[in-house]
Amino acid sequence: MSYLSIRNLHKSYGTTTIFSDIQCEIGQGEFVTLLGPSGCGKSTLLRCVAGLTEVDGGQILLDGQDLVPLSPQKRGIGMVFQSYALFPNMTVQQNVGFGLRMQKVGKDESVRRVDEVLRLVELNDYAARYPHQLSGGQCQRVALARSLVTRPRLLLLDEPLSALDARIRKHLREQIRSIQQELGLTTLFVTHDQEEALTMSDRIFLMNAGRIVQSGDAESLYTAPVDAFAAGFIGNYNLLDANAASRLLLRQVHSRIAIRPEAIRMEDRGAIAAEVLGHSLLGNVIRYRVQANGVELLVDVLNCGDSELIGKGQCIGLSIDASAIREVA
Amino acid sequence: MRADAKSAALYHRVVVWLLFLILMLPLAATLLYSLSTSWSASILPDGLTFKWYLALWSDSRFLAAFGQSLLVCFGALLLAVLLILPLLLVVHYHFPRLDRLMNILILLPLAVPPVVSSVGLLQVYGSGPLAMVGTPWILIGCYFTVALPFMYRAITNNLQAINLRDLMDTAHLLGASTWKAAFLVVLPNLRNGLMVSLFLSFSFLFGEFVFANLLVGTRYETLQVYLNNMRNSSGHFNSALVISYFFFVLIFTWAATRLNRDKQ
Repeated sequence: MSYLSIRNLHKSYGTTTIFSDIQCEIGQGEFVTLLGPSGCGKSTLLRCVAGLTEVDGGQILLDGQDLVPLSPQKRGIGMVFQSYALFPNMTVQQNVGFGLRMQKVGKDESVRRVDEVLRLVELNDYAARYPHQLSGGQCQRVALARSLVTRPRLLLLDEPLSALDARIRKHLREQIRSIQQELGLTTLFVTHDQEEALTMSDRIFLMNAGRIVQSGDAESLYTAPVDAFAAGFIGNYNLLDANAASRLLLRQVHSRIAIRPEAIRMEDRGAIAAEVLGHSLLGNVIRYRVQANGVELLVDVLNCGDSELIGKGQCIGLSIDASAIREVA
Repeated sequence: MRADAKSAALYHRVVVWLLFLILMLPLAATLLYSLSTSWSASILPDGLTFKWYLALWSDSRFLAAFGQSLLVCFGALLLAVLLILPLLLVVHYHFPRLDRLMNILILLPLAVPPVVSSVGLLQVYGSGPLAMVGTPWILIGCYFTVALPFMYRAITNNLQAINLRDLMDTAHLLGASTWKAAFLVVLPNLRNGLMVSLFLSFSFLFGEFVFANLLVGTRYETLQVYLNNMRNSSGHFNSALVISYFFFVLIFTWAATRLNRDKQ
């Protein structure tokens, strides 16, 4: 039986439906990501689970208990916001201890638990600082500690990494994941960044326009997109309509297809003749823009350093595995 | 290049000091006048004395007016804090759309000249069940509307800087009731805006004359009305009053600012 189950959840503002008939089941200790473009309803869904936004219909069952009639104070849910939302008038110690203070936990125990959780996020030397004396990454770790200290039944993360710079984001990503696994905490994570979703999650729910388009682990989501939206959102798929696909593959194709750029190989004896239009260096990957049979494609090649860049205008051959060609609706 | 920069700095300094002197001149003259025995046909006063100040500060009518002014100002500001703070929290947390309406409403006390609105107030509160004209209560209510725009704007700016929604949501999720969230989390972060707007309103209201004179007059004499009523007495005495009033506001706001800064 699942730990968190969302059934027929519906939310609209006036005549605008944010999402309707949302169904999902999440097991205990799972790290689940809601991934989608901005405005797809993922943050609203998270706020509904937290109780900060009222739902119009449906059930949210946590450990068998329906959360919908409960106030946010009584749900036992921890949440981290993109804006950190640290209390500026309190020190790190007081910020983290706030939840315990509200629960009227004794002073000694409170100090011990705050210290414990600050150790977990490696900030125990910063207990006396104020939020404005911390960097963005440290602020977000304090916010994480603050939501963990009350031992929530469910942790919600609303784009917690989006305001941070790339290096800190990567580090914090790993830290969040390892803490989550250490505590066995059921976690719902919202992001619009596919890389975050793919690297951190046990399972991903891909959302678009108020519904869950596809759910599954990172592998299946990446290699087997169910429709054009999923293919367009995850990875850098070449999306071709039936016409272009027929021209490229020189056979009759009846539906739209998606081909991952790294599934196309550049070979001298490749079946399809192509011309290089340009390239961009992404670091470990070189992304070529090529034209084959009048169709423009992106081709990713691992940047091994032993082969030279292929210049603009040069002719090459492409070969595409049949298994890499994915028909999408 | 350096000589240029130096002469520019000198020029700026001269301009600032000149402006300062021009602004200070009337005040300095008043101060000197209040300290002189008599000063009529000569460039400098005949002699210096404290007798005007002694006369002023031993005048029971002055002391009463002073106390009444303070009472009306503090009453109005207390009412303003009690009404505006909860209003602001509700507007910004629950009904952000109302902020636009509020921004128009708070312009009204500034848009209508005091002489005009006091005529209206006299009509409404002059008789009937709400007859308050001539009592300090009408002044407190009226001063509240005068203070409203300053306080609303200053605290709104402060609110926008602290991300009220996320702070309240976080506090709620950590188990705080709305009251606790407001008192423990939001209010301490609004102290700056609140203090600034209180000082501003206080110094403004303490010197208010038109409403006080038209609505209440001598029946509950405030400082400015007293000053007006004493206009036919000695100029030295009145100068002492103006200087006392000015220094009181100066010292009060300075002390309050210091206290506020030390707490941070």
